[in-house]
Amino acid sequence: MDKIPDQIGYLVLAEDGAVLESGGDLENDERVATIITDLITLSNKVDPCAFSPNEKFKKISITYDDHWFVICLSNKKIYVVKRSIPLAVSEGNTVNV
Amino acid sequence: MEKELDKVIEEIMLAPDVNGCLVADHQGLCLASKGTAHVDSAGIIVAISEQACKIQPNLKPPTVCLETDKKQCLIQRHGTITGAIYKQKA
Repeated sequence: MDKIPDQIGYLVLAEDGAVLESGGDLENDERVATIITDLITLSNKVDPCAFSPNEKFKKISITYDDHWFVICLSNKKIYVVKRSIPLAVSEGNTVNV
Repeated sequence: MEKELDKVIEEIMLAPDVNGCLVADHQGLCLASKGTAHVDSAGIIVAISEQACKIQPNLKPPTVCLETDKKQCLIQRHGTITGAIYKQKA
């Protein structure tokens, strides 16, 4: 997790939202862990029509002006990384894909 | 009454790779939808946007991007209006 560029915090959660590991800005942040677990539950129900019914989201990103959160599921764990956006690149709320 | 909104929706649909778009109010009522965006998802989209705002309540609403292998859904709130754009990934 330390090797991710621009990383300023991370969380590793179990499927039920329990915090397994945390570090940086997100250290021991159970509040964010709960919010993100709820967000994942919501996103599973988004759209039966635009996305096919069994197509679960591989990645969720939440972008602010100067930092962004990436959330993905792997091996029954939820990985959340808070990364900073280099100031030279950011021009307001752009989505990094 | 919704001519202006329809104009904006048309403009968004003309952008490259856009499959659908949706606009909803703060209570989840769908104000406009076009393309693959389903009217019923307005509620969930507003809920997702509100949930994301809770992570950092003191900052302005973030852009949420939900991605699968081939598609993505971008959601952003501005004031009381939440917009969602469904795109094909390039």
